[in-house]
Amino acid sequence: MQDPKRTPRKGDHGRSNRSLFRRTIFLMVVLGIGIFLPLIAQLYKLQIVEHTQWQERAANQQTKDVPVSAGRGTIYDREGRTMALSATVYKLILSPVGVLRSIEEDDYDTEAEYKQALYDRRKLIVDWLVDTFGYDEDDMWDQIEYTASAYQVLARELEEEDAEKVRSFTSKNGISGLLYLSPDSKRYYPYSSVGSHVLGYMAQNKTSGDNKIGVQGVEAMYEDALSGSLGRVVTSKNGLGVEMISGYEMYFDAEEGCDITLTLDERIQAMLEQTLAEGISTYDVQKGAFGIAMNPKTGAILAMASTPDFDPNEYAKILDSDLQQELESLAAEKGEDSDEYKAALKSARDAQWKNRALGEAYEPGSVFKPITVSMALEEGIISMNDHFQCSGGKVVGDRTISCHKRTGHGDQVLTKAVGNSCNVALMTIAERMGPDIMWKYFGDFGLFDYTGIDLAGEGEDVFWPESEFKGPYGAQSVAVGSFGQRFKVTPIQMITAFAAVINGGHLLEPYVVQSIADGDGNTVYYHETTEVRQVISEDTSDKVRGILESVVANDSGHNASMNGYRIGGKTGTSELLDRKNDPGYNKDVMCSFMGFAPADDPEVLVLLVYDTPKRSGPGSSYTASGTYISGGNIAAPMAGQLIANILDYIGIERVYSDNELAGPDTAMPRVTGQELTVAKSSLQSVGFQCRTVGTGSIVQGQVPAAGVSIPGGSTVVLYLGEDAPTEQVEVPSLTGLSPTESKNKLEALGLFMRATGVVDYNDPSVEGASQTIAEGTMVSLGTVVEVRFVSTIEYGDQGGA
Amino acid sequence: MARKAKRDLTIEQKLARGPIDLPFLALVMLLTAIGLIMVLSASFASAMYDLENLTKGDPYYYFKRQAGFAAAGVVAMFVISKIDYQQFRWMSIFVLAASVVLMLLVFTPLGRTGGGARRWIRLGPVRFQPSEIAKIGVILFFAARLSKRKPQLGPPPKKKWNRRTLLGRTCEKLDSIGFLELIPYGIALGVVLGVIALQEHMSAMILVIVGAASVLFAAGIRLGWFAAGGTLIGAGLWFIITQTDYMKLRIQIWQDPSSDLRRGGYQPWQGRIAIGSGGLLGTGLGNSRQKYLFLPEEHNDYIFAIVCEELGMVGACMIIALFALLIIRGFWLAIHAHDRFGTLLLVGIMSLMAFQVFFNIGVVTGVLPPTGISLPFFSYGGTALMIQLAEMGMVLSVSRQIAAPKAE
Repeated sequence: MQDPKRTPRKGDHGRSNRSLFRRTIFLMVVLGIGIFLPLIAQLYKLQIVEHTQWQERAANQQTKDVPVSAGRGTIYDREGRTMALSATVYKLILSPVGVLRSIEEDDYDTEAEYKQALYDRRKLIVDWLVDTFGYDEDDMWDQIEYTASAYQVLARELEEEDAEKVRSFTSKNGISGLLYLSPDSKRYYPYSSVGSHVLGYMAQNKTSGDNKIGVQGVEAMYEDALSGSLGRVVTSKNGLGVEMISGYEMYFDAEEGCDITLTLDERIQAMLEQTLAEGISTYDVQKGAFGIAMNPKTGAILAMASTPDFDPNEYAKILDSDLQQELESLAAEKGEDSDEYKAALKSARDAQWKNRALGEAYEPGSVFKPITVSMALEEGIISMNDHFQCSGGKVVGDRTISCHKRTGHGDQVLTKAVGNSCNVALMTIAERMGPDIMWKYFGDFGLFDYTGIDLAGEGEDVFWPESEFKGPYGAQSVAVGSFGQRFKVTPIQMITAFAAVINGGHLLEPYVVQSIADGDGNTVYYHETTEVRQVISEDTSDKVRGILESVVANDSGHNASMNGYRIGGKTGTSELLDRKNDPGYNKDVMCSFMGFAPADDPEVLVLLVYDTPKRSGPGSSYTASGTYISGGNIAAPMAGQLIANILDYIGIERVYSDNELAGPDTAMPRVTGQELTVAKSSLQSVGFQCRTVGTGSIVQGQVPAAGVSIPGGSTVVLYLGEDAPTEQVEVPSLTGLSPTESKNKLEALGLFMRATGVVDYNDPSVEGASQTIAEGTMVSLGTVVEVRFVSTIEYGDQGGA
Repeated sequence: MARKAKRDLTIEQKLARGPIDLPFLALVMLLTAIGLIMVLSASFASAMYDLENLTKGDPYYYFKRQAGFAAAGVVAMFVISKIDYQQFRWMSIFVLAASVVLMLLVFTPLGRTGGGARRWIRLGPVRFQPSEIAKIGVILFFAARLSKRKPQLGPPPKKKWNRRTLLGRTCEKLDSIGFLELIPYGIALGVVLGVIALQEHMSAMILVIVGAASVLFAAGIRLGWFAAGGTLIGAGLWFIITQTDYMKLRIQIWQDPSSDLRRGGYQPWQGRIAIGSGGLLGTGLGNSRQKYLFLPEEHNDYIFAIVCEELGMVGACMIIALFALLIIRGFWLAIHAHDRFGTLLLVGIMSLMAFQVFFNIGVVTGVLPPTGISLPFFSYGGTALMIQLAEMGMVLSVSRQIAAPKAE
């Protein structure tokens, strides 16, 4: 390099060195700068441009986001009985890819060893699952070998006991990340089908995904309040899915679901459902029944029922035994996969899920008459003293609309006209009033609007077009509308309007949820009585209440009367002309009764509707058992009993009038050992009569024993010179006997009668309809037999056409 | 040398005692230190979770070992920097030969399997890849031999071929296009590559090739040969990529790691999650989440992903900048080296370093298809770090003989 003597070589060297220099500089630029540019560009792309999406992916895999299910709120009835509650259950989840990854191929020398290790681990899990829970072995193998998945749900609704088994198995074998539990909740309805339509049920739907949400009733309407908000615990986890102890953690508190207290009362609900079921079986009702019980002062729904109903615990199962039998025979005939079966199953489910009391409009019939009367009274078009002539029909326009009593009711004062349920009288009132006033009041009574009840699924009413009703051809509509025919309202609309008639004219918003309390028990909502408008005056309401009390006391509603209670009400028998073309149509009618008590200060208002009691033959007016088919003969007795039961339950005291012989129950005093005369006077002082058996002056035995309560006015038996016999006696049949005959027959045997229903000792048409202790039962002396009396008068009130 | 008095030193000896290049040393020490810290950070989690096997749950296991090797490596670097690099000329052939022998020993019971391939050898307490030695061996050998090469641009070669024989004429022709002089290099390279190929060690082959090519390139070998070699390799790659399913899958994974997350795509995908989630400023040193058993090889080939996650784009670019500065400084030293051998040696070493950094970061960030190349100074691996530091020692040794600017 430093060789001055060899210049040409130096030139070579110089050129060579220049080449080396240039190429080295080139390499320096390329390797020192050039190659890093694409790297930095890529870093910019990943870390700056796509940062958000990578961060999201990182967060997704690095954190364990465990939902903390907010306990769904409990639903209580009016008295705090638990109607629906949630309990924690678990989903059992298997991660097939986790199982695959848990065995590292690198840890094994040969592939065979690796495969064996993987097989052993899978077999351990599968065998345990099969042994413990009895799952299908092939299915479990399919699941565990489906390694594309990290989330196979093996079971839902695993109870705590089983969950514990899973925990101990996984922790013992160190596979907690592979087979694990995820908490879930299950809804329980302790009273099964009671109140099912109001409560609703929980199911999955398209939007809820894996979760169940309320899909009917209160569960649906108050889904947000009940469900609370899902909490989350976000913790960091490592690549094996194991939570890290000291890692990042974040809590989002679950907001506990709110507890709801209903206005519904489980006992009253059960009474209503029982009443519907009893009526259906007694009168062979063909197309179900529905009913509502309401507090007319507040609009609170005490009970609401519709048949057939379902069990919200197993909402898809057909509960009604008739429907079930039909389905079973269809399944046997066509097979469960047949379209017919599926269609029948679907329609059976739809039927049992349907709440007719809320969702189906019906023709109210004569039950509507008090509303028409109240309008006319309010408007001053009629007065209490007005008389109405009925000759059996009234010419309206080009035709005659007949009264249900073709021979006519003759001359009737207003109260009697309603008591007779006289269509002619009502048509006369409507004619005087005119369509404009009627239409206005239809609206004022809320018949054109939803009632605003806090339940999903309110039905739509069906009315004539306003122009038709008020137009030149509307006269017949006005006439039939006056007695509740040819238009439809929902039962909830009907009872709400009726409540306004009897509660002083206040149209209220009906409701089922009384209060909502948050997870800490603080009341966050309390339903205050919501008045929509005042429809009629207190005075008018008072008058109509009087009329309706008379209807039950004296006329077509007589079968609803229960001694000791002042019950008011109105019967209805509505024609179902729109079913004329249905197969099996046989003068279908809905027998209904709207009743309330106490008449002077109503605490409870009840609507019962029985759809189509079976006629004994085509066109017959009687059921097979001989009951006249009408609201007054079928719905009224059922309603009277129900109202009395409700009043007893809510603690309204019975007040007996003079002509009701049977007084309140009285405790039998102790008279054994006393002089007969002393005994007699002490018995008389508490209202008992007595007869004696044997001779002597000292009472040696008594029936009933001291302290036993029997109806006042009963005749007790005193034994003189002999002990009271101890043998049992047979209960006789009292069906068809008058109250007096029944009482005498029982007391002759040493039994006592508690009369209920229509207890009019002077009315020959009253006869025993049922007794609490069946004929032929052996009972001890002094037993009280309760007998229900009804009137056999045929209470027609059907709307004519 | 020490036995002689100072004034009796030859010029060469005096030169060999010059000062080492401090900027280069500083960069090396800086990168070694940062690399160590990152090994600690990256390996912490996996070491802690590995209860049964290697680390027995000691989170500092990898760090302690790496730190030990780094210390030894730094000592080795200084020792080597003291050696007059002219001595490397005669050593080169032995280093190359030794590496080939060691690589063959891999197939004897001394060999060890790691990461699914038989590339390791165990000598006493140390376990290492002989291919690491082969890389520097090839560079040393090439640099030593090429530094004696006659200038190409001078008058025609003086050697006379017997033009009467066909062989003679052919040889003359080949000589004139510069083929003959390549034969020894070709043989050496062929032997080394062949032995590495036996280990199925693709990435080592690539590094040996690019290291050797850089030296050949700088030495002035005609560009045509590079064009020809590049075309040959390109055609080979094209054939492999398009004709074999294995490579097709790799390319597909490279393009879209999420397409095969359960196998090959998992690691690249996790690496990209680590990088991308780091963002501009990163999660902070020690705060990587991906190192918690999500990202395999997180303290090894994929350590740069953890760097990106913890230190963000800013930190990653700073480390890239340090590498760039190291490489530029290395080439600057090469340009100023005392002789051709020094230049070529530094070109080879720095090119190898540059390509290794490029390939590693390129693979981790997804610029290049996945292949296993470690990141110098960062990736866990004691002997590899030692060898890298020894190479840096060679660079420093060369730097001692650069004349101070004032003396010129």
